[in-house]
Amino acid sequence: MLNESLASEVLTLARSGGADFAELFVEDTVSTTLRLHQGEVKDAGGGNLFGAGLRLLYGPRVVYAYTNDVTESGLRDLAEQVARARGGAGEVSREGAGGLDFRRLDAKPLYVARDHPLHAAKRDKLALMRRAHGGAAGVGDVKTVDVNYLDRVQRVLIANSEGLWAEDERVWTRLSVSAIAQDGTLRETGYYGPGSGQGLEFFDTVTPENIGAEAARIANAMLRAGYAPAGKLPVVIGNEFGGVIFHEACGHILETTAVEKNASVFADKLGQKIAHESVSAIDDGTIPGSWGMVTVDDEGMPGERTVLIENGVLKSFMVDRVGELKTGYKRTGSGRRQNYTYAPASRMRSTFIDRGEETPESLIRQVPLGIYARKMGGGSVTPGTGDYNFAVNEAYMIRNGEIAEPLRGASLVGNGAQDLRNIVGVAGDLALGQGMCGSISGSLPTDVGQPHILISEITVGGRA
Amino acid sequence: MTATTEQQLSLEDARAYLLDRARERGVTLEVYGERGTSTSVKAFQGEVSEFKLSARQGVALRALVKGAWGYSFTENLSPPALDRALDSAVENAELVAPEPGAGLQNWPPPPALDLYGEGLSGVTVEQKVGVALELDRAAREADPRVTSLPYGGYSDSDAQRLVGNTEGLERGARELHAMQYAYPLVSEGGQNKMKGDWQFTREFTELDPTRTALSAVEKALALLGAKPAPSGTFPAIISGECLGELLALFSVMFSGKMVEEGKSPLAGRLGETIASPLVTLLDDPTLPRGLNSRAFDAEGCPSAPLALIENGKLAAFMHNAQTAARAGTTSTGHAARSGLQGTVGVAPSNLILQPGRTEGTAVASGLTGVRVTGVSGGHAGANPITGDFSLQAEGFWVEGGEVQHPLEVFTVAGNILDLLAGIEAVGNELHETQYAVAAPDVRVEALAVGGA
Repeated sequence: MLNESLASEVLTLARSGGADFAELFVEDTVSTTLRLHQGEVKDAGGGNLFGAGLRLLYGPRVVYAYTNDVTESGLRDLAEQVARARGGAGEVSREGAGGLDFRRLDAKPLYVARDHPLHAAKRDKLALMRRAHGGAAGVGDVKTVDVNYLDRVQRVLIANSEGLWAEDERVWTRLSVSAIAQDGTLRETGYYGPGSGQGLEFFDTVTPENIGAEAARIANAMLRAGYAPAGKLPVVIGNEFGGVIFHEACGHILETTAVEKNASVFADKLGQKIAHESVSAIDDGTIPGSWGMVTVDDEGMPGERTVLIENGVLKSFMVDRVGELKTGYKRTGSGRRQNYTYAPASRMRSTFIDRGEETPESLIRQVPLGIYARKMGGGSVTPGTGDYNFAVNEAYMIRNGEIAEPLRGASLVGNGAQDLRNIVGVAGDLALGQGMCGSISGSLPTDVGQPHILISEITVGGRA
Repeated sequence: MTATTEQQLSLEDARAYLLDRARERGVTLEVYGERGTSTSVKAFQGEVSEFKLSARQGVALRALVKGAWGYSFTENLSPPALDRALDSAVENAELVAPEPGAGLQNWPPPPALDLYGEGLSGVTVEQKVGVALELDRAAREADPRVTSLPYGGYSDSDAQRLVGNTEGLERGARELHAMQYAYPLVSEGGQNKMKGDWQFTREFTELDPTRTALSAVEKALALLGAKPAPSGTFPAIISGECLGELLALFSVMFSGKMVEEGKSPLAGRLGETIASPLVTLLDDPTLPRGLNSRAFDAEGCPSAPLALIENGKLAAFMHNAQTAARAGTTSTGHAARSGLQGTVGVAPSNLILQPGRTEGTAVASGLTGVRVTGVSGGHAGANPITGDFSLQAEGFWVEGGEVQHPLEVFTVAGNILDLLAGIEAVGNELHETQYAVAAPDVRVEALAVGGA
C-alpha cells in the first residue's frame, strides 16, 4: 500500500511547477478472461494491470502522466517530469512545505460482492460457461456457440492536493454468448451479454442457461429474415439495450467533455424543452450491483443520481472536475476513466429513459407501417453534429399495428437533437442492458436502458 | 494494494527471468513484451488544453502445457509478480483443451526494416506543443464558418517490442511514430458538420500542421449545404477512404482463425473468384511508412507481403503458426496480440487494395448516383460473419459524373462480397486511412441507400 507520506511528497513535488491542483491515481487490477468455443475451453487468460497516473491542473488545463513503475523512485521521477511538462515553466523544488493532511473519504460501498471472483475457482467459472453453452447449443439451427466470461477486480487509490484520500474496490462480472445459426448458405448471429457490478451471485438471478437461450433465440429468429427496407419510418424500440439510442443520440452530448467545447447541440439549452414531454432521462451511479455503479468516481467523488431531462426539459449535464472548472456546473460524480493510463473525463454510468404510462402493445398498435427494433446492437455519435447511428440485431416489420415478418441488416441513423423530439410514446417496462462505452477516457462499463418507446420517424438503413 | 517498494525489472531482464524460471520448471514458454513512452498534446481555442506523458511496459506470457496454451500478463515487473504471472499461465493451460499443432519455434531472422528514423530525442516539448497550437490556429483562421477545432492535436510514441521463447528465439525492435490530427466543426445556416484530416510520419520534421488543418477545413466545409438523400438503389462511387474503412471492418474474413472456427464466409473458397477481376488485395507489413508495419509478428515469425485476393481470386488466408499447422500450411507471419491482455490471434498489418487504371475523376464518368466518402458505426453495423453491413454514411449526390451537393445523414447497406464482386472501375490513386488500409476510389453498379 502506498503510504501517506509518499503520496504527500509526490503531490507536493508535482505541484512545484505552479499547478493549482494535483491528483494521484494508483491502480492494481486483476482480471480473468475465459472463452469456450463449441463447448471446449479455447482461451484462458487474464492478468495484472498495475500503474499510477498523476494529473495536474493549471486552471482548467490538464497535464497528465502515468507510469507502471510504482516504486518510490518511479513515483518521484513521474512527479518531477509532470512538474516540468509545461515546457520548463516554474521551478522544480525538492523542498516540500510540510506534508498534506489527508482526509479519508468514508464512502460506504453500494454493493459488496458475496461470491467474490478472486475467491472463486476458475473451474466454477467454467461450469457457469458450460451451462450457458448448453442453453444455446443445438437450439433450432444453431451450429456454432462461443461463450465468453470476464471478471475484473479494480482496486484504486485516489489522493489529491486538497487532502482527499479515497480507496475503492470495483468488481465486474460478465458472461456473453454468441450463437451462429446456419441453414445451407444462410447464416445469422445472435448475441446476448449481461453483466453486473456484483460477484458470481449475479448468475443466480440471470442464469447462464437463459443467456445462452436468448442468443440462440435471436440467431434463429433472424436466420430466414428478409432485408430491412430503407427510408423514414416510425420505429418501436425494445427495452433494456434499446436504451443505446439515448446513450448515443443524447447521452454523449450531455457530458461536459462535449459541452465545454461547445461541441454539443445542447450546450446552451439548460432549462429548455429539448424532448417530448413524455421523456425523462436519468444518469445514475448509485444503483447497487449495477454494471455502471460508481461508489466513488475516479476523481474520488461519491457517485450520484443525476436527472438529465425531466418531462422533456433539460435539467443537468454530466460533470467532472475539469467540466466544472470550464462550465461552472457542479460536479456530479461522473469523472471516470478506464484505467490509470487515462485522465478522467465526464462519462455516463447507468443512463436510461424513465418509465412512462403506455404498454409495448399499445405502442405497436399505433403504427400502421413501421419497424419493431426488439434488440439493438451498438452505435456511435459524432459529438459536434449529434449525428448518430446504431445497428439493430433483431427487427420485425410492423403492419397494421401488429408485429409481422423478421428483418435482417437494419441500422437506424439520425440526429439526437431532432429525434429526441420525435419520441412520442414511452411504455412502463424499464430495464437496463450492459455495454462497453468508448470515449476519450477509454472503454468503460455503462448501463443503457429504457422501456419500449415509439419514435414517430427515423431513418432506417436497409436494402429492400 | 501491492507494496510500492518492490524492485521493477527492465523488459529484457523480465524476459530472461521468466525464461530461466520456465526452463527450471520444464515449462515451454513464450514471453512477449512491450515498452513505450509517448507524448500527446491537445490544443483548443489557442491554448494547450491537455498534455499527456506516458511510460508503460509489461509482459504477456503464453505457456504450453500438454498441448494446451495458458495465458497471463503483468505490468508489475517485480520478481514476485513475474512468478505469479508464470504460475497463472501454467494454471490456465491446465484448464484449456489441447490444440493440435500448438508449438513454439525459433524462427529465421526477420527482414531489416527501419521503423525508427531519427528518433525524437532532439525534439523539444515546445516544438510538440507548437504543432498542436498551429493546427488549432490554422484551422480556426482558415474560414469564418469554422466554429472551433474540438478535436485537434499531436501525439508521438517511441516503442520497443520484444519476443522470446524457451526454444531459443530472441527478437527485439524499436518503432517510432509522430502524428497530428484535426477535426474542425463548421457551421452555416444552422447546419453543423465535422470532418478531419491527419498526418502520420516517422520523422517529426516532416509534420506540416498548416497543410493538415487546411485540408481538414476543406473536407468539413464541403459537407455544408447538405440536402436529404433519396432512398433506393443507385450506382455509386466508393471513395478510397471509405473503401479502406469498409475493408478494415471486414478484414477478419481473411483470418485463418475465423475460417477455422466457422466464422468466415470465405471458408473453403481458396482459389475461387470472390471479387471483380479488377481487385487485388495485399497485406504488406514491410512498408516503411505503414501504420502497422513490423519486421516480425507476435510469435517472432518474420514478416513478408502476402496477396489475399489476386485479380478477383481468393489467394490466401492470414495465419499464425498454430492456425497454419491445423490448416496444413505455414505461418504467413500474421500472429497478432492486441496489447498484453489478449490472446495470440490473427490480424492484418497494412492492407492495400491495388490501384487500377482508371484516371482520377474518370471513375465517376457519366454516373448518376452517390459518392460515399465515409461510413461510421462499423463496430455494430458490419457483420464479418455474414459480410452484411448497414452503416451510417456521409457523401454527395452526383449527376452525369459531377458532384452536385452533399447529403444529409443517410445509410448504405449491402454485403461486402457482393460489393467487391460488383466493382466496375478502379481508380489509379491510393488513399490512406487511419485504419492502416489504403485503397483507390472504385465504382459499383448498385448500392442500397436509405435517406428521406
